[in-house]
Amino acid sequence: MQCWWRQAVLCRSQRAVLPSRVVLFLFLCFAFASFTTHLAVAQSPEPDEKPVPILTGTAGTFSFVTAGQQQLNAQINPVLLLPLGEHWLIESRAEFQGVFQRPPGGGPYGGPVGKNLDYAQADYIANPYLTVDLGRYLTPFGIFNERLYPIWIRSLQQDPLILPLSSESSDGMMLRGGFPANDKANLTYAIYVSAISTSHNNLQSERNVGGRMSVFLPGPRLEIGASWQKLLQDARANAFGFHFAWLVPKLPLNMHGEYARSNQGSGYWVDGAYRLSQLHFWQKAMRRTEFAGRAEQFFSGSISSGEALALGLPGANTREGELGVNYYLQDGLKVVGSYGRQFSPAGNMNLWSAGIAYRFLIPLGRAQ
Amino acid sequence: MRTRIVVMAGILVLSSLMYASLARADGPSGKKDTTSVSVARTYDVDAMRLQGELRYRSNCGRCHAAPRKFPPRMMATVLRHMRVRATITDEDMRLVLFYMTQ
Repeated sequence: MQCWWRQAVLCRSQRAVLPSRVVLFLFLCFAFASFTTHLAVAQSPEPDEKPVPILTGTAGTFSFVTAGQQQLNAQINPVLLLPLGEHWLIESRAEFQGVFQRPPGGGPYGGPVGKNLDYAQADYIANPYLTVDLGRYLTPFGIFNERLYPIWIRSLQQDPLILPLSSESSDGMMLRGGFPANDKANLTYAIYVSAISTSHNNLQSERNVGGRMSVFLPGPRLEIGASWQKLLQDARANAFGFHFAWLVPKLPLNMHGEYARSNQGSGYWVDGAYRLSQLHFWQKAMRRTEFAGRAEQFFSGSISSGEALALGLPGANTREGELGVNYYLQDGLKVVGSYGRQFSPAGNMNLWSAGIAYRFLIPLGRAQ
Repeated sequence: MRTRIVVMAGILVLSSLMYASLARADGPSGKKDTTSVSVARTYDVDAMRLQGELRYRSNCGRCHAAPRKFPPRMMATVLRHMRVRATITDEDMRLVLFYMTQ
């Protein structure tokens, strides 16, 4: 994750002046905020319970075996949630990750311990339809980066192949919210602008604008949406994508999928997680067991193979299938295992993983 | 010059947002609105609990295994976080919070 940021940001020009479209964006923000504030009548930002600061996050350790090469991964990702008054939330997530493997000639495990600031943002809940985010935020492109990334949430621990096609974090400002369009549909939106940042390895960002819009149908429990991002530097390339999330009614089956396309490549992934809670034998164990599967494909773009690898993308057209089992020991604690097979002109390979993921939640004050 | 315009525009946006929300919180009669009152006008307690459970399952379960209930003040923080992260609607957040704190 680190190296492609460095590479991508260092090779791009740095202009100190923001373009006129950013001014236009801010003006539209103002107009939009005023409009939604007039729409919001007789609503207070939050019910009676006074929120308490929380330290939460995930910790986990995994063993990945890729083409016979074992890699040990240990990570902790603390999340700080600091509510202020009725309208503000300060939130931040850091990532500390050690990746250890044996050197090619044999010997003890060794490797780097990386640290990264995924987001550190101030959220201002202006009204029921609008939240303003300032700071470093997760780029709302598709759903995986923002919502499915934490290890206790994702059903398979390998990242999708197309994840690096958009920026993972951006430094700037974002407007977002959701509202019911009618009884059968909710609309959600996010629009953002970010500035280039090269000052610190953990705060790197590209200058871009983008947005995401989605519709959620509570009846069939289906969400579909589209994302767009434009880079405002160098190639000024566009990226766009589509996503869906479907919690199948009457079945303990949860499905997600994304498609993304940019000059760096294109591809899709579809995954599903099926909880065995409907089986009538060994119910205590079965309702804690989940089968997961994912199919995905990546198509190379207009960049060279070396550039793609530096960005974290496959160097050639790639197909991959993966099956896994998750067993929930308790809420927020699960044991995971998976097997996958990757097909590529660069060579086919097996992908094994096993590990444990834990989500913790600690109140930093009186919780009752 | 453009940078100055951007900075000024940003300050204008933020100050207007704060002013607008403060004015709204005071309300036309100078009293603070309370969510429980406005929501309870629409739903009775049982219906709210039922609606809360439905929305809890459809919203939370879309991304992750449904979590257990936590103490009320923790739930309030978690729901505020999820309102931003998952862009769930204001009404859904209130009903889920009502259900999760019963």
